[in-house]
Amino acid sequence: MHYGGIYEDEIVGKAYDRRLMGRFLGYLRPYRLLVVVTLLLLPPMAAARLAQPYLLKLAIDNHIVKAQMEGLPLLAGWFLLLILAESIFTYAEVWLLQYVGQKVMFDLRLALFSHVQRMPAAFFDRTPTGSLVTRLTSDVEVLGEMFAAGIITIVGDIMVLVGIIGIMLWMNLKLSLVTFSVLPLLVWVAFTFRRRMREAFRQVRARLANLNAFLAESIGGMAVVQLFNRQAREQEEFTRLNASYRDANLPVISWDAALYALVETLSSVAVGIIVWYGGGEILQGALTFGALVAFIQYIEKFFSPIRDLSAKYSIMQGAMAALERIFNLLDREHGESLGSTRGEGASLLPPPLMGGGEGGRPVERIEFRDVWFAYSGDDYVLKGFDLTIRRGETVALVGETGGGKTTVTRLLSRLYEVERGSIAFDGTDIRELPLTALRSRIGVVLQDPYLFTGSIEFNISLGDDQARSRAEEAAHIVGADRFIRHLPNGYGEEVRERGVNLSAGERQLISFARAVAFDPEILVLDEATASVDTASERLIQEGLRGLMEGRTSLVVAHRLSTIQDADRIVVIHRGEKMEEGTHQELLAKRGLYYRLYQLQFKD
Amino acid sequence: MRSRRGTYLLGGLCLLGTNSCALFIPWLMKLAVEGLQFPHKAQHQPSHYALLIIAAALLQGIIRIFSRTTLLHAARRIEFQLREELYAKLLDLDLPFFSRERTGDILSRFSNDLTNVRMLMGFGVLNVINTAIIYLAAIFLMVRISPSLTACAIIPFPLMILGVKRLSASMFRRSKRAQEELARLSSHVEENVSAAAVVRAYCRETAQIEAFREFNSRYLESNMGMARLRGWMIPVIAATGAIGTLIVLILGGSRVIAGSLTLGDFVAFNGYLAMLIWPTVVLGWILNLMQRGAASMSRLNHVLEAVATVTEPAEPASVDRLQGEIEFRNLTFSYDQQTTPLLTDISLTIKPGKKVGIAGPVGSGKSSLVRLIPRLYPVADGQIFIDGIDVNRIPLARLRGAIGFVPQESFLFSRSIGDNIGYGKEEADPGEIAAAARLASFEEDVLRFPDGYGTLVGERGVTLSGGQKQRAAIARALLKNPSILILDDPLSAVDARTEEEILESMSGYYGDRTVLIVSHRLSALRECDLILVLEEGRVVEQGDHEGLLAMGGRYAATWHEQQLRAEIERL
Ligand SMILES: Nc1ncnc2c1ncn2[C@@H]1O[C@H](COP(=O)(O)OP(=O)(O)OP(=O)(O)O)[C@@H](O)[C@H]1O
Ligand SMILES: Nc1ncnc2c1ncn2[C@@H]1O[C@H](COP(=O)(O)OP(=O)(O)OP(=O)(O)O)[C@@H](O)[C@H]1O
Ligand SMILES: [Mg+2]
Ligand SMILES: [Mg+2]
Repeated sequence: MHYGGIYEDEIVGKAYDRRLMGRFLGYLRPYRLLVVVTLLLLPPMAAARLAQPYLLKLAIDNHIVKAQMEGLPLLAGWFLLLILAESIFTYAEVWLLQYVGQKVMFDLRLALFSHVQRMPAAFFDRTPTGSLVTRLTSDVEVLGEMFAAGIITIVGDIMVLVGIIGIMLWMNLKLSLVTFSVLPLLVWVAFTFRRRMREAFRQVRARLANLNAFLAESIGGMAVVQLFNRQAREQEEFTRLNASYRDANLPVISWDAALYALVETLSSVAVGIIVWYGGGEILQGALTFGALVAFIQYIEKFFSPIRDLSAKYSIMQGAMAALERIFNLLDREHGESLGSTRGEGASLLPPPLMGGGEGGRPVERIEFRDVWFAYSGDDYVLKGFDLTIRRGETVALVGETGGGKTTVTRLLSRLYEVERGSIAFDGTDIRELPLTALRSRIGVVLQDPYLFTGSIEFNISLGDDQARSRAEEAAHIVGADRFIRHLPNGYGEEVRERGVNLSAGERQLISFARAVAFDPEILVLDEATASVDTASERLIQEGLRGLMEGRTSLVVAHRLSTIQDADRIVVIHRGEKMEEGTHQELLAKRGLYYRLYQLQFKD
Repeated sequence: MRSRRGTYLLGGLCLLGTNSCALFIPWLMKLAVEGLQFPHKAQHQPSHYALLIIAAALLQGIIRIFSRTTLLHAARRIEFQLREELYAKLLDLDLPFFSRERTGDILSRFSNDLTNVRMLMGFGVLNVINTAIIYLAAIFLMVRISPSLTACAIIPFPLMILGVKRLSASMFRRSKRAQEELARLSSHVEENVSAAAVVRAYCRETAQIEAFREFNSRYLESNMGMARLRGWMIPVIAATGAIGTLIVLILGGSRVIAGSLTLGDFVAFNGYLAMLIWPTVVLGWILNLMQRGAASMSRLNHVLEAVATVTEPAEPASVDRLQGEIEFRNLTFSYDQQTTPLLTDISLTIKPGKKVGIAGPVGSGKSSLVRLIPRLYPVADGQIFIDGIDVNRIPLARLRGAIGFVPQESFLFSRSIGDNIGYGKEEADPGEIAAAARLASFEEDVLRFPDGYGTLVGERGVTLSGGQKQRAAIARALLKNPSILILDDPLSAVDARTEEEILESMSGYYGDRTVLIVSHRLSALRECDLILVLEEGRVVEQGDHEGLLAMGGRYAATWHEQQLRAEIERL
């Protein structure tokens, strides 16, 4: 058994091709000057290279055959000069190419990353981390290979080719035509291989992404794998993915080898043809001896760029497959982005400002009106949910697990979009507000705290200046400073990936302090004290009492004791609001809340 | 690698074959040219040589295909093998390793570094063999024509090699830096993607992009350093070959004029020299590959050579089925070699079938304590015993097989719910899975999903609610049917009704299993035979519920506070 379609990245089947290259050239645009210089360097470089055999021919025909020593040193001097010129041009060329290539890769990575920042939360529910990391790193690296192999020099190679063809034709028309007779075969083979190679490379890239997705998950869940003794099975699954990646690569190698060998063979066959045909010409006196030697040399020079091209051919096809994936991600925007933020257009670059008070006047009324929402299909998680929260109120959401409480909080900050109905701030649909303006009003303590690698202080402030100035105060309010001060480096203590070097409660306190440090107008607490002990919870409640004063808050809690200060309590059951009222009212009603309450405090 | 020696030998032989053909061709040409120069002395027609050339070319092509596929396929197989070994190593490594390393960094090693090594093993080896063969053969043939001319022609080569060697040392360093930067970049991406919700909720997109730009620039910078070096290498190498040609032109030319060298020899000599140029240029590229490959290999070795601190016992005790008696003997533990231990001097014996509750403030060491039982972190010898056997002497699979563990943070795989619940048992049947889900009060939720047990959950279980994840993790541990059940704050994300349900169905399940429950909610611990209160890594109170209440210590205070709140609310 294997885990079927879960680790199967979709393979981009679209035939992008010509548009692909055009689009890629767009990324060269900022460096067009350098590209032009690179291209301009090519003719002198080619000339320097091409002139060398010609000098050799002169040396043989005019000096060596005629036994004329003088003039030969001069020729040698020229030869040296040409070598020097070729070296300098090559240096400049290689360097420029790498420069442009690296810059383009830099830009592409940045574009991809920025694009990912614009993706809605739902995108991440479905896209494995490892596969995204692969797109931003390995897929872009493949393009680097293309630059290192010198795609721009392809232009140069082609120029050299044209030059050589010209000279050869000029030197001897018939001989040249005979030589070129081998070319059509080559072209035909190259075209036939292209489609298959591309397809194979698509497989290669997709399978690598799958492999990395699986790997990333395994690393995250290693404790579970080991606790459940599942190493053998995980290894088995990994082997399957690994082997399928390997097997996708093997045919490419064979085609590549065939193409390479073909070019090489053809170049020697061409020499054979020259000897055959040219030999006859010499015997008839129709060709000078030097010309034949030069011709053979030209053939070698002629095939060397073709050989280069064929060696680069598979790299190019690989790069094209990678480009498809890159552009495919960049195109993912449509239909899946956070929808229109009619107020602002693109919401890519939110202003750094976070402070609650500065987003305009405070919101008087938050209204959920007949909100329907499904994560997928018509499997509704919220069904006609209504709720009004007035400024300064604390509203508690309680209810059975899986009832949709977290979903309500997510919709409020538009991590997901309401499907039917609306959420409005003072009558304005939140979809009309710029995303950042909306989100910077809200401070959320997520149910699953996430900590970054970096210092504790960074984890509270997330690098925001205003939040940083409030970090210690915030930590104090939620009672986190007690343990932070105990750490060897205090607020500077390094947090490791996901906060593994802290206890779960400590992580939650830091995530709580984060919300407080951003001083939001609306505070959303999703099970914010689920992992802390009673004493810490009391501290938090005391600290928060002052903070919540005049602040609108939405509190989700299973422990009813934590919501005793709420102005109103809303009971959600399977996506519907069942009851609403104050603690006393709900108890008096003897409904769902009453039953929950009885259970928790039975004695 | 070693097992591929035969393949590489075969590949090398093929290369020898194809290169022999390649070398045979200029020799044929020499004969042809001589034949043309002195038609009356010629033994054969030019067409004879032409045919031979074409035949050699065809042979060369065929063997070329074999040589390339053999070697490059071998490289892919080595890559496969290495990746398998790396993964096997990861499966063997312990949590201290994973809490040190970053996921993005490991991912980068598995893809980018492995690619470099594979390039070295494939193209690198191929070209090294190729170059060596061509060099030796060409030099041999050149020597046959004229030893002294050969000596002159290859004068520039040693100089070049010296220069290139200097360059490659710094190339190694820079490659390594570049790979490290790439790993950092990849870690940043990994973290950013995992933290998608936080980044969005706090509008950190711009800041994240800025941070990314920083990593991106540093990677760019280190790559530019590499590019500058490569920029140097290629023309230096190319010029070397050309200078050789120049020397031959002058010296050889004058000899032809002087009559001590035939024109045919001169042309052939030049041909052989030209053969040297291409591999010499490739040599620059190989050096680059080699340095990059070596730098990457050292990064792979970092993983391959990492030592797990939690290892299989050297002399495993023979245990059949563990009953579940747990004993801590002066247990003292710290994560790093900190000065103050995190857990201090914990001594306790838990008889099989007993239920033990653990309470204590945040960060007091509860999770650390229970994590040590299945040896997720290393414990010193003589501190924890199960059924009287030191845990360090129990084979890991046996030890962990006897323990059902619900971690404080629920981790699910992005597979179906059924696969997740049945994770601990080979081919668990649907009935068992459903029974476990029922025990954890999870069944009702699952059946509400359109795909039931086949519902796929997102990475780490993101598409489930907090409580659903937690119950899936509980069900997963229960299905294992362990003799020791460890629950680390298992009910933190569920509501009172569900909690009640779970506690009730579990009490039927416990039977004669030893159970350890960590909880902040004392109500979940009430029924335990023994309750420990931890503070700063020490057991400060222990006893049963009534006893602790009577003691009037911390437990009693917390209990009363929790009760008091209830009372207040009731008013
Ligand atoms: N990202 C998601 N994709 C698909 N379904 C989801 C996603 N998140 C939650 N769900 C489903 O939506 C329902 C409501 O989940 P939600 O997280 O809102 O519950 P909750 O009330 O917060 O529960 P809990 O108390 O357990 O945290 C659940 O059935 C859950 O499986
Ligand atoms: N992997 C680790 N490396 C270093 N220090 C750690 C690691 N895990 C936990 N710690 C530290 O050890 C202490 C105890 O952590 P532990 O997780 O055992 O606490 P806990 O009692 O389970 O707390 P909580 O109630 O919050 O779950 C904490 O101060 C924490 O910072
Ligand atoms: Mg929730
Ligand atoms: Mg804990």
